[in-house]
This record gives sequence, C-alpha cells and structure tokens, in this order.
Amino acid sequence: MRRLDLALGALLAVFAAIFPLLVNAYWLHVMIIGMMFAIMAASWSLLAGYAGQFSFGHMGFVAVGGYTAALLATDLGLPLPLGMLAGVIASALLGGVIGWTCLRMSGPYLAIFTMAFSEVLRIIIVTEVEVTGGAGGMTVPQLFHAPTDFPYYYLILALLIVSVGGMMLVVASRWGLFFRAIRENEQAAAAAGVKVTRFRIIAFAIASSLAGLAGTFYAPYIGILTPDVASQDQMGLVVAMAIVGGMESLPGAVAGAIAVEFLVEALRSYGQWRLVLFGALLLFTMRFARNGLLAPGWFRLRGLVAPRAAGLGPEAAD
Amino acid sequence: MTDKDNCEASGRDALGRDALGRGVSRAASALAKLPRRDLLALGAGAAATLPLFGRTARAAEPIKLGWVGPLSPPGGYAEGLLMKYAAGMAADEINAQGGVLGRPIEILYQDTRGLPAEGTAAAERLIVEDKVVAMLGEFHSSVALAEMEVVHKYNVPIMFCDVWSQAITAKGYPQVFRNSTTFPLLDTMIGQWIVAAGFKNVALLCEQDDIGLAGRKIAAQVLTDNKVPFKLYTADPQATDFTAQILRLKAEKPAFDFFFILYAEAGAYPMVTESKSLGFAPTPHTGIFLSGGDGVDPTFWKNVGNAGVGLLCENVGLPKSGWNDKTKAFVTAFKGKYKTDPPGSAMESYDAVFSLVEAIKSTGSTAPDAIIHGLETLHWVGTRGLYTFSTSHTPDWAYHQFMAAPATVLQYDQLNQSSFDAPIVWPRPLATVSYLYKTPTA
Amino acid sequence: MLDYILIQAANGLVIGVLFALIATGLTIIFSILKIVNFAHGEIYMVGGYFGYYVITLLGVPPFPAVFVAMALTFLFSIGIERGLLTPLYSPSIERKADYGILITFGLSVFLRNIAIIIFGPFPLRPPSFLEGNLVIGGLIVSDDRLVAAGGGILLLAGLIYFLNRTVWGQALNAVSQSRESASIVGINSERMYMLAFGVGGALAGGAGALIAPIYSLSPSMGLVPDTQAFVIVILGGLGSVSGTIIAALVLGLSENLFIALLPDPSRGPSYANAFGLFIMMLVLLFRPTGIFGRQHVAMD
Repeated sequence: MRRLDLALGALLAVFAAIFPLLVNAYWLHVMIIGMMFAIMAASWSLLAGYAGQFSFGHMGFVAVGGYTAALLATDLGLPLPLGMLAGVIASALLGGVIGWTCLRMSGPYLAIFTMAFSEVLRIIIVTEVEVTGGAGGMTVPQLFHAPTDFPYYYLILALLIVSVGGMMLVVASRWGLFFRAIRENEQAAAAAGVKVTRFRIIAFAIASSLAGLAGTFYAPYIGILTPDVASQDQMGLVVAMAIVGGMESLPGAVAGAIAVEFLVEALRSYGQWRLVLFGALLLFTMRFARNGLLAPGWFRLRGLVAPRAAGLGPEAAD
Repeated sequence: MTDKDNCEASGRDALGRDALGRGVSRAASALAKLPRRDLLALGAGAAATLPLFGRTARAAEPIKLGWVGPLSPPGGYAEGLLMKYAAGMAADEINAQGGVLGRPIEILYQDTRGLPAEGTAAAERLIVEDKVVAMLGEFHSSVALAEMEVVHKYNVPIMFCDVWSQAITAKGYPQVFRNSTTFPLLDTMIGQWIVAAGFKNVALLCEQDDIGLAGRKIAAQVLTDNKVPFKLYTADPQATDFTAQILRLKAEKPAFDFFFILYAEAGAYPMVTESKSLGFAPTPHTGIFLSGGDGVDPTFWKNVGNAGVGLLCENVGLPKSGWNDKTKAFVTAFKGKYKTDPPGSAMESYDAVFSLVEAIKSTGSTAPDAIIHGLETLHWVGTRGLYTFSTSHTPDWAYHQFMAAPATVLQYDQLNQSSFDAPIVWPRPLATVSYLYKTPTA
Repeated sequence: MLDYILIQAANGLVIGVLFALIATGLTIIFSILKIVNFAHGEIYMVGGYFGYYVITLLGVPPFPAVFVAMALTFLFSIGIERGLLTPLYSPSIERKADYGILITFGLSVFLRNIAIIIFGPFPLRPPSFLEGNLVIGGLIVSDDRLVAAGGGILLLAGLIYFLNRTVWGQALNAVSQSRESASIVGINSERMYMLAFGVGGALAGGAGALIAPIYSLSPSMGLVPDTQAFVIVILGGLGSVSGTIIAALVLGLSENLFIALLPDPSRGPSYANAFGLFIMMLVLLFRPTGIFGRQHVAMD
C-alpha cells in the first residue's frame, strides 16, 4: 500500500510542479481558484467532518482574513505579507472566540449561530462603507508584479501543501482522536477524559485561521474584495466541495474543491443553469452518495487497480 | 456555446496532411482492427455525418466577440438577460448581411453573476481559451473594474455597456470604452433639474453599494453648489420593507419636498409603493425620483401600480422624438420577439456589437490596436444616436467615454404609460412638455 | 411623535404576524422531523409564486388564491419529503442532524436558482387583496397589509386549533414528544412526518402568497425571511409553537422600533437585520435551546 501511495504521490508532485507550463492562462487561473477553495473546503471538513462542529460561518473568517489584510495594506501602508499574517492571526483569534461562545451549542443551533455570525459580519462590512468600500468592494494591491500568474500558483500550492499537510498531521495525532470522539458523543468523550472545551476551541481556531489564510490570498489575487465572499451562496459552494470529496477525507476535500471548481467553470456556457446543476449535484450526492463521490471512488479505483496493494486481498479483485 | 476546437491556422505535417487528414488516417487504422459487423455500423453512421463535415470544412472561420453580464444571482439577472438578447439580435442581423470582412461573427456569452471574481474568470476564459477579438457588456461597475484589469493585461478592447462608475474610464486604460452614461454626466443633469424645478428640501436615499455611493457624491455636489438643502440616507440593497425608514423621513421637520431615490435592486418597487401608501411621495407636497434603471423596466407598472403616476426617472435610451430609423426598427423587432419594450441598457448592448463591427470594418483588421483605433475614430449612427468616443483625459473619466450618451428625465403622468411615451421634462432642448414638473394630484 | 411610534409599532405587528406564519412552519418541521429546514425560505417563495399563477392563469380571486397556493405548497412539500428526507427514518445514516442540514441547504440553492429559469428574473406582483389604506388620525396602514395580517392570524388560529383539537394534530404533538411512545399507541410515524413537513411548508407558502402583493415576488425573496425565521424559532424555542408566535411578534415590533428610534437613520435599517441576529446570538449564549424551547432531542 505504501509503495502505491508513494508512487502516486510522486507523480502528483511532478504534475503539480509543472502544471503552469501545461495549460493556458485561463485554466491556470481556474486551478489557482480551485486550490484556494481547497484550503477553505479542507478546513471546513476538519471542523465539520472530523470534529463534528457544523459551522456555516466559515466564509465569515475568509472575509475577516481578507479584509484585515486589505485594510492594513491600504490604510496603514503595511507590506502585504505582514498584512496577510495579521489576517491569519485575526481569524484564528476570532475563531477561537466563536468556538468558545458556541461551547454549549450543538447541531442545528451551532449551524444557525455561526450562520448568523457570518451574516452579521457581512452586514457590518456592507454598512460601514467608509471603511470597507461597502458592497461596491475594496481594491487591494497586487502581491506580485509579474506578467503571468505563475508566482500566485506556486504560492497557493505551497500554502495548500502546508495547510492540508498540517491538518493531516493533526488528524493522525491524538488530537484527531479527540476530535472524532467529541463528534461521536460529547458526553462519552468528556467521561473518558477528553478536554472537550479545549479541543472544540482548538478545532475552531485551526479551521478559522486557514479560512482566513485563504481570504488573505483571495484579496490580492482577485484585486477586489467584496462582502459577497461571506455570502451563504459561497458557503454552499464550499460545503458542496467538501461533501462531493467526502466529508471525512482531507485529500478528498481538496480533490472535491478542485473538481467542483473545474466543473463550475466548464459549465460556464450554461449561464443560469450552472448553479441549478450544481445544486442538483449537491442534492444527488447527499441523497445517494453520502460519503462523497471522490473519496469512495478513489478507494474503489485502488481496489480495482491493485487490490493487494490497497490492502483488500486477492478475493476483493473484481 | 464555447468552441472547443482550436480554429487557428492548422499546421500540416510531414506528409502534407492537415489536422483533418491526420485524424482521418488515425481513425482508419483503428477501424481496420474492428470486427466486420461493427465496421458496417460505423460506416453507416459515418456516412450519415458526411454532410456536416463538408459544411464546416468550407465555412469561414467566425470572428468571436465575448459578452459579459449577470445572468444569475446575486447579479442583476433581469437586465442582464435583456442585454444578452439584444446582443444576439445584433449578431443575427450582421450575419444576415454577410458578416464582416467576409466572415460571420459569433458572440460567446459569460454569466458574471455580479461578482468581481466571476468577471475575472469570465474575461480570462473568453480571451485566453475562446480567443475573442473584443468584448462587450456588463451591468455591474464592481465587476467591470475587475474585468478591465484582465483586458488590459492581454490588450483586448472592451465596450462596456451599462456600468456607470466613473472610475472605469478614469483609469485611462486604452482598451476600455464605454457607450453608456456615467455618474458625472447623469447625476449632474439630474441635480440641475432638481435645482431648476425649484425644490427646497431634498431627501437623498441611496443604495448601500457602488451605484449608490458614486452617484450620491455627484448629486450631493450639485445640490451643494446650488445651495439646495438636502439630507443623505442609505438603504440596504437586500431589503424589501422600507416602511420604518420612510415613516422616519416623513416625520422629519422641516418636511421634505422631494424624495430622490438612487436604488436599482428589486426592493425599489416596494420602496415606491410603500412611499405612496404611507403618504410620503408622490403627493402634492413631495415629488419622487427613482434613479437606477428600474423606472423603465418591463415589470415597473405591474409592481408599482398607481404609485408610479407622477414618478420621475431617467431614461438612457434616445427620446422618442430623436428616434432614427435604426431605433424604430430595433424597438419593433425586440418587442416582437421578446414581448417587452427594450430598456436603454439593451440598446447599449445592441449598439456595442455594431460599434465593434464597424471598427473592424473601418480598419479592415481584428487586431486589438486596430479595433481601438477604429473605435477612437468611430462616427457611426446607432439606435442611441451618433457614436463618438472622446480621447481627451480631461476630466479623467472622459477618456473613451461616449460623451453624448443620451439621458433624459421623464415624468409618468398616466398609469401603465410606456417609457417611450412619458413626458420628457429635461434637458429642455429635448423636453416634450412646457412644464418642468407636474405636481401630482392627491 | 406618538403617531410615529404607533405606525411603526402597527407595521411591526403586521410583519410579526407574517413572520410567525413562516417560523411556526419551521418549528413544526423541527419538532417532528428533528431537522432544521434550510430551504424553508425557498418554500415560502414557491408558495408566493403558486399564488401568483393561480390568480393569473386560473382566474382565482386573490384571497381564495392564498388557500389554493397553500394546498399546492402542501403537496410540493410532501414531494420534497418523500424524495429527499426518507433516509432520515432509516438507520442507514448515523448523524441525522447533519444530513438534514446539508440536504435542505442543497435544496435551497437548487430551488433559488431554478426559480429564475422557471419564473423569470423580473419581480412579479399579484393584484392587491384590497386597494386603499386604513387611515385613523395619523395612523396609516395599507389595506393589503391589514388583509395579510388578518389572513395570517386566521391561519395561526386554525393551526392552533388543528394541533390541539383534532386527532391528526394531537398525533403530531405525540410524535414530537416521543416517536416510540406514539407508535406504541398506534400512530404511524411515517405519515406524521409527511404531514408535518407538508403542514410546515404550507404555512410558509401561505405566508408567501399573503406577502406577495406587498413586497412583490422574486426568486431570491426567500433569503431574508429564512434568516429571520431562524432567529424567531431560536428565540421562541425550536419546537414550541406558542413561543414562536410570541417571539415573531416581539421581533417584528422591536426591529421596527429599532429603525424608528436609532439616531443614525442610515445605519438603522441595515443594522436592523443584524440586530435580530445579534439578539439571537446572545440568547443562544445563555440559553442554548431558546427561551421556551425543549431540550434539543436528536432523532434516533
């Protein structure tokens, strides 16, 4: 199993490294956006899938990261990387606070609370026009002044590897066990000695900081930041990516994000039908393929290709 | 709709075969390995498709234009759809006349949803993937600001339609043209009318986004310059219930005698009906102006009913008195096909296609700099009059702006009146009635 | 000044009644199916459009059209329940609350966007119930709003009667307290689920049809009432019909008075929405199950 994984991993690494040379600028742009969404989807998957905290406020943290970085850069003249760091820290802190306030909430209450949080944030951004540019948006300076998007691609690739890699380490560690215990049955976990309070806050802080990270990238890359980034439609998109990829799989969420992003772009020509098809996809996946389409599909593929390597034994080959 | 095949000049290989020839050869060797029964089936199928092959191989490669605009939420999809139809009509007419430079034109449509990130992606796709020679359209200024960075990067000309923010042309990108009005032109005109009509206390309610903000600055400036007292308020773009806010305005002392609304979202209609039913405006004491385009939308009367009688709004199409043959033909054709009067934004979209084609025709080339030059020297009459684009940088937003973009102030005086027939009160040279303002009856 | 406050209050109560309709539907769905219906705003929207088309295509007069629209929305909701929600009743899903959240969320995205294609993007407005205004001194309320509020009160009264005095309603009550006990007594839970979702949806659809002449119909009109409905059911307690009604009236009143009295007239309306959300967040902090709510019981 290890050898197959390593081989595939190496192939993927090479592919990722030379990707910008293989495609034209448009598809490179799509890939960059896809990877950015991958960070958002994977961090949401960590919070909702692993730790069981269904937060619909995730995009609020993306906005916090983005606007913090943008405001520091334009109003205080701070260099953008510093602003981005500040954005991540701000999201982490706010995420921890939200995690702490939600301690006694669960399930749908948590979902509604976090949705409200995101909406309140969005309303504040829209209303305080002098500061944020309101619904018309805020222009953000560019990070790189290169003729192509190559630097952005490698930056987001690095950020993606670091964040998802970091999350996978967390999940594989004791912390991951604690998250899953909390998800399954909080009271039992507490009885078994898991510090539920601390780990719920930690889960929120980690997920929010990464959402904020994605936001700090989004702002300079697109060049204009609008409050819609925190809208429920965008939240729905991220949720769909995580679900399609498989809620309990971080690489699945990454694959789901990239796949859905490419699908959404490929469906561009269908105009109004685009979101309809995408909503239908979400419904279909939830109804009939609850564990996602990509993660189970991947396992089945491995089972077909190399059943022994996939740990399935000779009798599994069909 | 997107043409995936690369229609660039096809290269020929060592054997002198072009792409088609190579493909046929490869297919032939694959076929040779199939069982006979399948071969026969394939042969029949292939024969059936032969007529198609012949046609495409001989047709001239189309000139591609890229249209951008909102076709789904959270963008203004209602207007976007009409603009898309109008552009399609223009393309059909041009092709019926033989196209341009011996080639047909093809418009590729991208939905930008009112989101800047979508605008960037749409522009990238149209330019890099679909290889359009020029672009047109858009309805949201914030999206246009994102798109123009992309067209500037790749040097592809774009004719923006219904985006009013002055920042778009003020930046001075040579690729960017605009054939609609802009806030400095529009709101200065409206402000001047407010002053001339003699209002003494104005309530200025603006949408809480780029449209409202840019517009209100200018309107406020004109009122201040002319010493007309006013108070500034903002309204939530998502709201539909303005009762509380309007009641508050009504309770203000001294009482407002004019209610100027700068609001283009769906909530504009309830705002107007609420204003009327609460007795705020239009009344004999207080006039009302709805700016932002909803006043001339197809469903205006269905939604506001009686509250629309006495209401003023702007119209960015040509006044009926100024209609030329093209305007008449377009309005008749659009109404016949889509069962609704075309708003000014649809006319902008229609004219934009023609403008680009004229530029290509006059310079005989589809190269970007040629098209830009063709537009700068354009002198063409469309449904909205004679098009010329300024090359001056003073003021900065005048660059590549259609300075003579038509805009008039009209005041409805009858229920279900068409925007084409409503009395025009400003500017005076185009006015169709002797009065500046008709006080509404109770 | 008193006039001004009275009108704002009157308007707030009218809105409150209509919010109560929407929110009680949501609370009923929650108490029986144990899921939060994130597509509730879209069912409200669909109901509004049903009303419009019933009036324009079938020629039904505006007020009776509301009831026809409710019947159609009832059937529509049952269709959704059969098509998408049946996995909730089988043991195949472990985390049912999550499933409910995600699938109704997906449904809302789907409905919102397909509505644009089916109904067209332009706002539509059915004819008024009653033209004109009621004027008492300085108090002005449009007749449409009075009819809508009246219709809403009628429906709410009917609902309370249904829940307390009829066999079906009492069966629903039983299931909401304990599914197992209810089935021991012979109540078919699957039929109750259908009924609950149908009734909840019908209430929202009725609200949509009543509100349509006042605010006009548009495919995205469900977004704001959606969030308002959540605020209300949290405040009133998920699962408590009376708590929901009271919370709806209180919210309608307080939001309007907030706009009326806040010194800054520009920020007022925008922050009014945030105000409600913020209150809800505060309530959840101190009483995670709402003011009148029963303990959140997971369906198992």
